[in-house]
Amino acid sequence: MISKIINMADKMKDADDRLLESMFASEPIADSGFSAAVVKRVRRRLWLRRLAVPIAALVGGAIAIKPLADFVSIAASLFPAVPPQLIDATASMIPQLPTIVLGAMILGACLLGLRLLED
Amino acid sequence: MSSTQDHALVARVVSGQDTAAFGELVRRHQSQVRNFLRKLAGDISAADDLSQDCFMHAWEKMHTYTGRGSFIGWLLKVAYTTFLQSKRKSKRYAEIMEQVGHRMETNAETYTLQSDEVTDLDKLLAVLDEEERAIMIMSYACGLSHREIGEATSMPIGTVKSVIFRGKQKIRTSFDIKDHQHG
Repeated sequence: MISKIINMADKMKDADDRLLESMFASEPIADSGFSAAVVKRVRRRLWLRRLAVPIAALVGGAIAIKPLADFVSIAASLFPAVPPQLIDATASMIPQLPTIVLGAMILGACLLGLRLLED
Repeated sequence: MSSTQDHALVARVVSGQDTAAFGELVRRHQSQVRNFLRKLAGDISAADDLSQDCFMHAWEKMHTYTGRGSFIGWLLKVAYTTFLQSKRKSKRYAEIMEQVGHRMETNAETYTLQSDEVTDLDKLLAVLDEEERAIMIMSYACGLSHREIGEATSMPIGTVKSVIFRGKQKIRTSFDIKDHQHG
């Protein structure tokens, strides 16, 4: 049925149409690494997107750590009814710089390992 | 090229961001997209850069392909949009440079060949405006139906037909194509 329709459409073409088709016709272009380059760009974009959130969280956390520690100590002085053990526990839960660096390194290693597995 | 295979590959890309399936789609259609953009832009290296950008846009917008028309029709729509965006950007850049005192040559409206070799097709394309060129290439080089061209260019079928008619008239008046036919 489809081939009949195509044949009908072909018959409706005039001589000019057929001439133009022959003039516009060209050899297929060899891939020559084109598709590999596109896929590489796509994968790079995917990885950048996947890394964006953890990196933003790390940077944000590193920036926020000092004000957060200050906030905890101010809060402790404002609310004397809060038990000091709770304040100490909250303050000790804030990760220190070496912890952040170690976390970033582990995260980086995990992502790199995943990328190698994907490749 | 089987459209069923295209649809299966698109489904894999949309459902799981499958880069291997996308690579297969690129391999299947790169020749037509690059041919379309090469003829439209008249500059091989610029057209190949645009083709890469087109496939990047296609990756981002793949979920918008509903499977209603042919995949190549949808892809050429993305290619045409990418081409127009790039034209607008370079035109805007030229305008800004002009405002700050640099005079630049802009080929926003005219078809300028970057290749040393000028073919019959190049001469033929040069008499058409940008819209006519795009539609004629889609029709005669890529074999898209009028409906598919309409979808690709967001034009009604009647307008597509009249643009093709106008393009053919221009070619007829500019060249004696009957001579070419017998020559």
